[in-house]
Amino acid sequence: MIKYINLFLIISSILLISCEKDIEIVLPDAKTKLVVEGNIEQGRPPFVMLTKTSPFFSPTDINSLQNSFVKNAIVTVSNGTTTVQLQEICTNQLPDSLLPAIAELIGVNLESLKNFGFCLYTTLNPAIFGEVGKSYTLSIQSGNEILTSITQIPSLVLPNKFWYKDQPGFTDFGYIWFELTDPPQIGNAYRAFTQRKGKDSRFIPVLGSVFDDQFINGLTFDGVFLRGKELNSKAPDDLAETADYFQQGDTIIIKFCTIDQRNYKFWDTFEIAAFNSGNPFSSPVTIQTNINGGLGIWGGYGVSYDTLVAVDL
Amino acid sequence: MKQFWLIFLMIIVFVLNVDFVVAQNYTISGTIKDATTNETTVGTTIYVKETLQGTSTNEKGFFSITLPKGTYTLVISYIGYKEIEIPVELNKNIKINEKIEPTAITKEAFEVVGEKENINTTQAEMGSVELEMEKVKTLPAIFGEIDILKTIQLLPGVQTAGEGNSGFYVRGGGPDQNLVLLDGATVYNASHLFGFFSVFNADAINDVKLYKGAMPAEFGGRLSSVLDISMNDGDMKNYKVDGGIGVISSRLTIQGPIKKDKASFLMSARRTYAGDIAQPFISDSSKFKGSNYYFYDFNAKINYIISSKDKLSLSGYYGRDVFVFNNSDDGFGLETPWGNAIASLRWNHIYNDKLFADFTAAFTNYNFEVKATQDQFGFRLYSGITDWNLKADFNYLPSILHQVKFGAAYTFHKFTPNNAEVNSGDVDFNTGDVIINYANEGAVYVSDDWDLSEKIKIQAGLRYTIYQHIGPFKRFNNDALGNPIDTVVYKKGETVKYYQGLEPRLAARYQFNSSSSLKASFSQNYQYIHLATISTVSLPTDAWLPSTEVTKPQFATQYVLGYFKNFAQNKWESSVEVYYKDMKNQVEYKEGALPKDDGGNNVDNNLTFGRGWSYGAEFFIKKRVGKFNGWVGYTLAWTKRQFDEINEGKVFYARYDRRHDVSLVFNYDISKRLVLGATWVYATGNALTLPISRYFIEGQIVNEYGERNSFRMDAFHRMDLAITLKGKETKRFKSSWNFSIYNVYNRKNPYFIYFANEGSAFDGTLDIQAKQVSLFGIIPSIAWNFKF
Repeated sequence: MIKYINLFLIISSILLISCEKDIEIVLPDAKTKLVVEGNIEQGRPPFVMLTKTSPFFSPTDINSLQNSFVKNAIVTVSNGTTTVQLQEICTNQLPDSLLPAIAELIGVNLESLKNFGFCLYTTLNPAIFGEVGKSYTLSIQSGNEILTSITQIPSLVLPNKFWYKDQPGFTDFGYIWFELTDPPQIGNAYRAFTQRKGKDSRFIPVLGSVFDDQFINGLTFDGVFLRGKELNSKAPDDLAETADYFQQGDTIIIKFCTIDQRNYKFWDTFEIAAFNSGNPFSSPVTIQTNINGGLGIWGGYGVSYDTLVAVDL
Repeated sequence: MKQFWLIFLMIIVFVLNVDFVVAQNYTISGTIKDATTNETTVGTTIYVKETLQGTSTNEKGFFSITLPKGTYTLVISYIGYKEIEIPVELNKNIKINEKIEPTAITKEAFEVVGEKENINTTQAEMGSVELEMEKVKTLPAIFGEIDILKTIQLLPGVQTAGEGNSGFYVRGGGPDQNLVLLDGATVYNASHLFGFFSVFNADAINDVKLYKGAMPAEFGGRLSSVLDISMNDGDMKNYKVDGGIGVISSRLTIQGPIKKDKASFLMSARRTYAGDIAQPFISDSSKFKGSNYYFYDFNAKINYIISSKDKLSLSGYYGRDVFVFNNSDDGFGLETPWGNAIASLRWNHIYNDKLFADFTAAFTNYNFEVKATQDQFGFRLYSGITDWNLKADFNYLPSILHQVKFGAAYTFHKFTPNNAEVNSGDVDFNTGDVIINYANEGAVYVSDDWDLSEKIKIQAGLRYTIYQHIGPFKRFNNDALGNPIDTVVYKKGETVKYYQGLEPRLAARYQFNSSSSLKASFSQNYQYIHLATISTVSLPTDAWLPSTEVTKPQFATQYVLGYFKNFAQNKWESSVEVYYKDMKNQVEYKEGALPKDDGGNNVDNNLTFGRGWSYGAEFFIKKRVGKFNGWVGYTLAWTKRQFDEINEGKVFYARYDRRHDVSLVFNYDISKRLVLGATWVYATGNALTLPISRYFIEGQIVNEYGERNSFRMDAFHRMDLAITLKGKETKRFKSSWNFSIYNVYNRKNPYFIYFANEGSAFDGTLDIQAKQVSLFGIIPSIAWNFKF
């Protein structure tokens, strides 16, 4: 909802802005920090990508991105009874069936993932595959630095139903609607992804992908999902005026996840920071990491899947 | 509460005692009025030729001098008016009610700051400045919109928050630390359009006085300054119409007698129409149809002279900003009205030659609201503050050596910080209880302006304030993630928290000779209300908050030392002031706090507390009179803050920390009909926080920020020019053209900096570029003003 206010501020500022120019800025040297991008879902191995921060204006080519990957770290995941050390594996060594999950983790399309190849820490040991209701402790040792975090795969909450509806003023374009009954206790949080069959190569987070029950605790209510896009997508339907909509006829797999509060806070602040970028009135948003000693996220997901054929009934 | 009345009683006793001591003398008192309009003249000098002692008329045009028995000559003088001398044989108490006539010549000229000669060196208080509206009106103004807050910002020690921002910062204090009064009623948000214009319609304003140093004990409740604005009373003799037609707005003021010399009225209205003009160009098929922005103001005042001893006045202000945005594409609609509603009723009563009083009852309300709809979703966010205020101010003149002021004030506050309502179709989301906070605030004060000797004058004051946060109130105790653990409920009228404090104010002057003096002051102030700003600029969304058991009252101590010197028969004035100000219990949102965290929560659960301090030197030189007049001000200052939970506890500069701040203000009377006004400002760039490194999450660039406010934007500087051309005057009709050029040399001043990311890191096309956005380039504007 806060996005509406921000929108209002941005519109106001656009109305007033008369000109802008490129400027050169000299920024002080920053200490390098470790960044974790990791997740675990039920029935899947933990994936942990470990990178480091780069100076703000450092080169941004693909080599430097691959160079930011941190090798030779000792990464372990524990579910309380079993502790497993993850292996450093590059994507070309992994079975193809796991690649979409990694594409989702890193936020690239499958093609880029295959072209460039990324390295990450994971395991094929099923003893540490995710289970609903369990907590997972992540420990990382890299050089002298020690990073820790804990996340939970919360119990599943399944939406009552999904449906598609044309947006007023449009034919064949609209949002995905859902009805959800939030459990009575406070603290539930959710994240949603969609994948259009034949159009998307992976699950893409919907626009504003997380919400919690701060305002809807215990309620049954209707909500919508706006279609998310691949970053910098040049696909015609991602550049069209209808880019935020699903199209009538699409077959859409909806991945609806329960997440814990720390995971929610991270994605909420992350999305607001991304949204606020360039908004003159917003203070820099501090992204609330759940990694002790570093940045990023170690997130558990309780995942449910539904398939919807977009037809306005 | 007992203590409160005890101190009040002591004040009364103190005042009465003084009365006994000086019972041998006789008093000359009365009022001075403008002979043409019959309006009282504020600040008219009355001095005794033989002894060179003097006084000046107060806000009501009243004066009083007590002298030993004897023969004297009283001199009454006021800038722009003919001086008159009155011989007096003083063997009993005397009343003098004089009317003074404007001089033909000086009516055409005007003073930069309309004040009495010598006042800067002779009075004890420091850092008080009075603006004369006629002068303000000839200074350049953006879009021709005359703006007293913009003029205030041209004074040393007063800084802007940036281009187009009416919020002002006095000696390192935040915009919430300024008490803005309109005819005695508090104005909580003094700006329109996010601060691009102030709410004060220049045509309705009579007098503007700013206190930035030790504020007199009669004022309180804020740490940094008082801006005391009084509206025009309305002409007691003739009907008058003033108006102006400008590029983006028009205004009209009507005033006149209801009953000649007895009662008068004034009505003034202003509205912008830039958005309306754009309407026809938004086609019916446009997806933005119905979008608009405008603001309007309405001022009204009624004055009634009941008798020579009693005067009643009722003032009102109502203003709203309205922003409407529609986008039919995604069924999005938004409406945000916000503004102030203010009313005050004042009764001036003269008990006798030595004692007069002002009783004020005031109401003020500031509201902000956002209503948004998208499809079946509705969203409403609102916040506001409402005050009911009663005040009694007494002015007691026991002898020519003393001017005693005492009084009491009471305010009932109602705060409505950030409440939200959300619904989806028929389902109302649970956004928590509507949170309203209630508080009582009371004050008693006494002060004395005392001429200890010819060389030494002191202004000593004491203010005692109490504050009580009362129920109904609900305190939410939350865990580290912000989820409620339990709540504490307070019943209606139950005390949640009680605070009290003594606020000593002391100012002293040592006069070397008639043209130079040294002054020093010490003051302490409590402020029981807070403005929490989540964004980097003051916005109408900022919510006023009470002091609670979590948020302690703000407390400031200020020390000032100044040297004042006049040259060339007081044609030139100059001063140097140095100050140090310490501010405790300052509030900021916690790092990472989001506005929605306020929903169903106590806002102060998201705040963190720290200390601020500032110090600096202010240099000021002014040419008061002549064809060419104006001033130069320079401020060298430091403003710092320290919060344990912000910036890892390290000291950081406030965003509005300005190392250098220069203002040049000039007026030149080219001829009787042509006046040139020019201003030039220079300020060190705003401090801001910038990202110093970055990383990727889900393929998106995430910024890692450096130390808070450790970076500086480019310096801000700008020159504005205005030419006022007066039309041929007839007895009935006067008009003038005002041509303004804003930002004459088209300086691209930084408004904000952002980083544009283009391309993707995954295909090697990522490019990050810092961009600086400027608001206004050169803007010429024209306005036509008339009077009949």
